[in-house]
Amino acid sequence: MIAQLTKSERQLALIILLVLTICGLAMAIAGRQDPLGVHGAIVMLAGIAGIFGVIYVYYEPEPDEARLALYYDDPTKLAIILAMIWAVIGMFIGDWVAWQLVFPNLTFDAGWSSFGRIRPAHTSAVIFGFGGNGLIGTSLYVLQRTSRARLPDQISPWFVLLGYNLFCLLAATGYLMGVTQSKEYAEPEWYADLLLEIVWVVYFVIYMRTLARRKEPHIYVANWYYMAFILVVAILHTVNNLAMPVSFGHAKSYSAFSGVQDAMTQWWYGHNAVAFFLTSGFLGMMYYYLPVRAGRPIYSYRMSIISFWGITFMYMWVGSHHLHYTALPQWVQTLGMTFSLMLLIPSWGSAGNALLTLNGAWYKVRDDATLRFMMVAAVFYGLTTFEGSFMAIRSVNSLSHYTDWTVGHVHAGALGWVAMITFGSIYASVPWLWKRERMYSPALVEWHFWLAVAGLFTYVFAMWNSGIIQGLMWRTYNSSGTLSYSFIETVIAMKPYYVARAVGGFFFFAGAVIGLYNIVMTIRTAGQPADERAADRPVAQPAGVPALQPGE
Amino acid sequence: MEHEATVWFAKSFGLFYLIAMSVGVVVYAYWPKNKTSFDFAAQSILDPSVEDKPYEAKRWQ
Amino acid sequence: MGLFGLHYKLERKTMSLAIGIIIAASIGGLIEIVPLFTIHQTVEDAPDMRVYTPLEIAGRNIYIREGCYACHSQMIRTLRDEVERYGPYSLAVESKYDHPMLWGSKRTGPDIARLGGKYSDEWHVKHLINPRDVVPESVMPPYAYLTRAKARIDDLGLHLTALRKVGVPYTDEMIANASNDAYGQTSPDTPFAEGVTKRYGEATNVRAFDGQPGEPTEMDALVAYLQILGKLTDAAHKAKTAAAGE
Repeated sequence: MIAQLTKSERQLALIILLVLTICGLAMAIAGRQDPLGVHGAIVMLAGIAGIFGVIYVYYEPEPDEARLALYYDDPTKLAIILAMIWAVIGMFIGDWVAWQLVFPNLTFDAGWSSFGRIRPAHTSAVIFGFGGNGLIGTSLYVLQRTSRARLPDQISPWFVLLGYNLFCLLAATGYLMGVTQSKEYAEPEWYADLLLEIVWVVYFVIYMRTLARRKEPHIYVANWYYMAFILVVAILHTVNNLAMPVSFGHAKSYSAFSGVQDAMTQWWYGHNAVAFFLTSGFLGMMYYYLPVRAGRPIYSYRMSIISFWGITFMYMWVGSHHLHYTALPQWVQTLGMTFSLMLLIPSWGSAGNALLTLNGAWYKVRDDATLRFMMVAAVFYGLTTFEGSFMAIRSVNSLSHYTDWTVGHVHAGALGWVAMITFGSIYASVPWLWKRERMYSPALVEWHFWLAVAGLFTYVFAMWNSGIIQGLMWRTYNSSGTLSYSFIETVIAMKPYYVARAVGGFFFFAGAVIGLYNIVMTIRTAGQPADERAADRPVAQPAGVPALQPGE
Repeated sequence: MEHEATVWFAKSFGLFYLIAMSVGVVVYAYWPKNKTSFDFAAQSILDPSVEDKPYEAKRWQ
Repeated sequence: MGLFGLHYKLERKTMSLAIGIIIAASIGGLIEIVPLFTIHQTVEDAPDMRVYTPLEIAGRNIYIREGCYACHSQMIRTLRDEVERYGPYSLAVESKYDHPMLWGSKRTGPDIARLGGKYSDEWHVKHLINPRDVVPESVMPPYAYLTRAKARIDDLGLHLTALRKVGVPYTDEMIANASNDAYGQTSPDTPFAEGVTKRYGEATNVRAFDGQPGEPTEMDALVAYLQILGKLTDAAHKAKTAAAGE
């Protein structure tokens, strides 16, 4: 892959890696009494490893000019593999954390393995590691196909992908050492945030430069969603992470905001991370891969545009529904609730649009597990957004907030929507990217699908039950007008659901492991014999499948 | 900045902003002239005659 | 050059899309958040509110480090059952020195906004070493290693300086004596203890939280923090007036 770089790109790579190594060294020295030092060492090692990698191929011949007539897919390929690896890591930790609530001593008497430290490692690994790599990989793929233009250069996509993964690595290892800002889904400390900031600007520039050279004046709508994802995440990330580091030798920083302002800023961020990271970006994925895989154009292009502006505009207002009945002024709570309800319109616009696209192609959904992943994703997108609007109603929220219902809701979205659309898109792109006729084993795709569905339902039903039961128990009064249950009684009542949740999580994790195996085997099994092509696509018609180029 | 004033502004301006925004988006989506490019875009990702290559390699750089 | 003109036009379309997204997305947040930064004009202040001592800051940082906020909220909502279970509902002013706030979003364990003074230090230490020794059905992780780890107090002055930069009113004297005050708060019979009460008030807890005076452990720091939760001001207990301000 590095050999594809031109001489000047190799030199630029060396300079960037050298700067990275120096930064790592500086961090390691300044933070030698602090976890920052460990992170400095990690950064430095990453830089040195990169330098060796580039030097190893430095005197190889320069790549052929013919490459310029093709799309640049190497970063996408690596992003997909990394996404699957992070999925396996993140889901493993997730299931471990779930079992800790059943057997609290699964921490093995260590600090790094306690619930509070590995829980953010789970959330970051799945959201940023799995989801983020999936988004970066697919966005670069979709960007090039829909613009019919090659990426502007060969360095910036690597900078984005590898820099982003370095950020994920710093985040995950940081939590285990106790380095966290405590802001949910924005836990990484100031130096990791700065790294992400730079990476994100470059990501945006790639997008702008490629779009500027597109063939058609109209920008395909998937790119709108991807751009909203990139731009708004940049805004959210910048504002919510404003903080004062203790010193350049400390990982610790103090948030620029306090109390009620901090709460509002955090949940403005938190809910919009859901909106623009976990929704907008993945809708971009859906608006490309679902029509292509189904071989049918999107049902209503107009609706996709209306939904786009609806989501981009309205999501920004709804964060305060995380703070109902708190010290936040009531008018802000009401505003958040109202917009949350209105948000159902664009959300169902997108979900309906996806399902109506499949209308007339249900036989494909029946036969093709990859398309079925995308179908389930669209259904759960609709369900979760309905549930979300419902839970944003103040009186419902008084019951659901602080309980497992929220956890169930999040996982209905994360497993049912985000993971399903990502798996579907990955299964669609792997054969296209590596020029294979199909996945190594269509049967294993089926296995993954059914394990994922079983895990999803087990998990979500367990959390709905536990959440509503606990919420009701907290507010149950006995005949003498006092609270019926002590807190610990409500914890005891959760036990069966915690077990069920952990089992469901295991199914989902097992599916991801099978997926990774299947993808690795697809890559390693070159040139399947023609007569064994039991296509994993229902119809062998060329429509909708970007032309494969055998022999490349 | 006065608290009362900012709250008033948030409550009133927000409403008009929402309405204007919604109208603008619907008008754009249903503007007759835009229909061709929308239909073309919807079909473009499915076109079987399109090779999986950039449309004009020389334009690179 | 025609080609150049074409480029320019395409570029402009991409730019306007990007700007459109930024405008559509950012105004909502601004309209909603900006008024909150003027909120101090309406919310009654709490003149008796004190800042965290250096040891409590160290404890709070351990609370953050261990991710306690993932299971314990510090925000009692204005609902009858919550007030009866946990105490007076939380006021905005109570977390005005909290950088960041730790309101939390999930109660796998109970809310602890009013935990301070509810249990003895001894109970807390036992509970943190192994929660199931005190509450047999608890699902909380054990934190025995906190008793073995010395708290890092030599850099607390820097921490207080950083907090002052973001708006917490620490005095020069507090910053200069930060490390000594952290030591003094767990060593009641030493000269350092006097400075703590002088700077942070007579009501400050000065004692060996983990049972052993001298060099504070991480357990000392964490328990010192837990014992001050909800105790920085009385505002919530005489809340009728403050509630009207919302």
